[in-house]
Amino acid sequence: MQTAKPRWTRRRRNQALIGAAYIAPSFILMFIFNVAPIFLSIYFSFTKYDMTAAPQWVGFDNYIKLGANKYLGMVLENTVQYVLITVPIQTILALLIAAFIAENMKNRYGSFMRSVIFIPVIASLIASAAVWNVMYQPKGGLINQCMNFLGFESVNFLGKKATAMPSVAAVAIWKSTGYYMVIYYAGIMNVPGEVREAAIVDGASPIQRFWYITLPILRPITYMIVTLGIIGSFQVFDLVYKMTGGGPGRATLTVAYMIYSYAFQDKRMGYACALAVGLLVVILLIHQLQTLFFKERDGQ
Amino acid sequence: MKKRLTFGKAAGVVLVTLFAILCVLPLLYMVAVSFTDSESLYIGLKDLRFDFSNFEYAITKRNFGLALKNSVITVIGSCLLVDIVSAMAAYGFEKKPVPGKETLFQGYLATMMIPGQVILIPMFMMINKAHLTNTFAALILPMVGAFGIFLMRQFMVAVSNDLLEAAEIDGCGELRRFVTIVLPLVQPALITLTIFTFNATWNNFLWPLIINTRSEMATLPVTMSTLSSNSTTNYGMVMAGATLTFLFPFVLYIFLQKQFVEGIALGGVKG
Repeated sequence: MQTAKPRWTRRRRNQALIGAAYIAPSFILMFIFNVAPIFLSIYFSFTKYDMTAAPQWVGFDNYIKLGANKYLGMVLENTVQYVLITVPIQTILALLIAAFIAENMKNRYGSFMRSVIFIPVIASLIASAAVWNVMYQPKGGLINQCMNFLGFESVNFLGKKATAMPSVAAVAIWKSTGYYMVIYYAGIMNVPGEVREAAIVDGASPIQRFWYITLPILRPITYMIVTLGIIGSFQVFDLVYKMTGGGPGRATLTVAYMIYSYAFQDKRMGYACALAVGLLVVILLIHQLQTLFFKERDGQ
Repeated sequence: MKKRLTFGKAAGVVLVTLFAILCVLPLLYMVAVSFTDSESLYIGLKDLRFDFSNFEYAITKRNFGLALKNSVITVIGSCLLVDIVSAMAAYGFEKKPVPGKETLFQGYLATMMIPGQVILIPMFMMINKAHLTNTFAALILPMVGAFGIFLMRQFMVAVSNDLLEAAEIDGCGELRRFVTIVLPLVQPALITLTIFTFNATWNNFLWPLIINTRSEMATLPVTMSTLSSNSTTNYGMVMAGATLTFLFPFVLYIFLQKQFVEGIALGGVKG
């Protein structure tokens, strides 16, 4: 009898066992550190647990308390504000720079520029935060010195409610634009030469080519970059921790920072887990919405 | 293609150049301030001194020497573990007839969507229960992730089955085939993965902050975070710490720039 499927011979069974042995170490580590914690987080979100006494089942208590938390609305607003500043700006900047370099600077200078723009990506967020803290200093910080030189008053960037969050977001944009630029650039380089040439023959201007050819072809990459950007920005922690500590007056308190402080400063593990599960649900919802949005646009 | 230098193009080149300058300016400023001893920021070129006293102070008095050692150990351990575990898993997934492997692989990929904060607290509890706080194991073991396995599998596809079969017929054993044939063939992927792991581990902050609370176990970013950069501090010393933290990834980037960028592009375009 001839079948497409290979028979379950002794050799094949042997190979399957060997294969399982190769996969096993990753399985154990992935299970312990990536999969099990998701379910444990959900479990602990229904308990009261301070790490000394045993966890105590409290049902939906944590979620009800969370709903009544007077800071939650503000914290969500701060986080969304941060996402809405960072994601569009870093995505558009990365796209424009990548497209321009690919179109007009395909030479050594262009490749040097790409290398330089990538450098902030490799810096640690904490070191970056420390550097920008110094640059934002009201007295003598580089930015204020420049502003004074141009005749403007000094601004206490991180100390004022109105400017604190945008100032933190600026550091994130500075750090991640190069990363997304590299992805966009590779995507543009993958556009078949014939497509471009055909457009040039048809007399399309560079801007038309960008708008009607490059941009639609890059749609899957844009989708991925926006997804990564939203997921990353929703979890902003390092910058807030080092630059503002959530201040001034909770103006930069974000969801991730709130989870950290409930769990590791107040030892309210169950409550913090409920907030973390909430964050997961929000991120998954946004991801669903975004997928719908991209699908719908594709359907046109 | 037009070779004419138009006004728009010239303006674009200037803007890109300005953005590039903006990208490195803070880092140049960081290095410059680390070579001054001023506690004020009103500094000029005359304040630069070419001695390493700020670095010396940070290393000997502010724990940066120990933090550097801890970071290096953690990074080496993580890179080795991630490379070995990911390469093995990718080989198993791609070359062995394990039942249900595709479902498992999809499950791995799904974990990439989970925000870190969701798994942070239970991870902390488990490490605590296992009495692994303040150990290198606590820093290294969680570094294995779906991304590395995904990346390695992309490259494993290109490893020829005929070659593996021929080696088997020649009497080359299973483990020897993996080590002497498969690993050398996926070497570019291993380099890319090493760079990723290096960067992720070196710059990892929240996890080392909560899991290793003893200062002898602190890594560079954690030690860095304890230095205040408020108005009363010695800016030179703080920036020396930041420079130290930045130096190693930067040197790696200078030497392995192509792999850095290609790795990200590959993960991005295919992923």
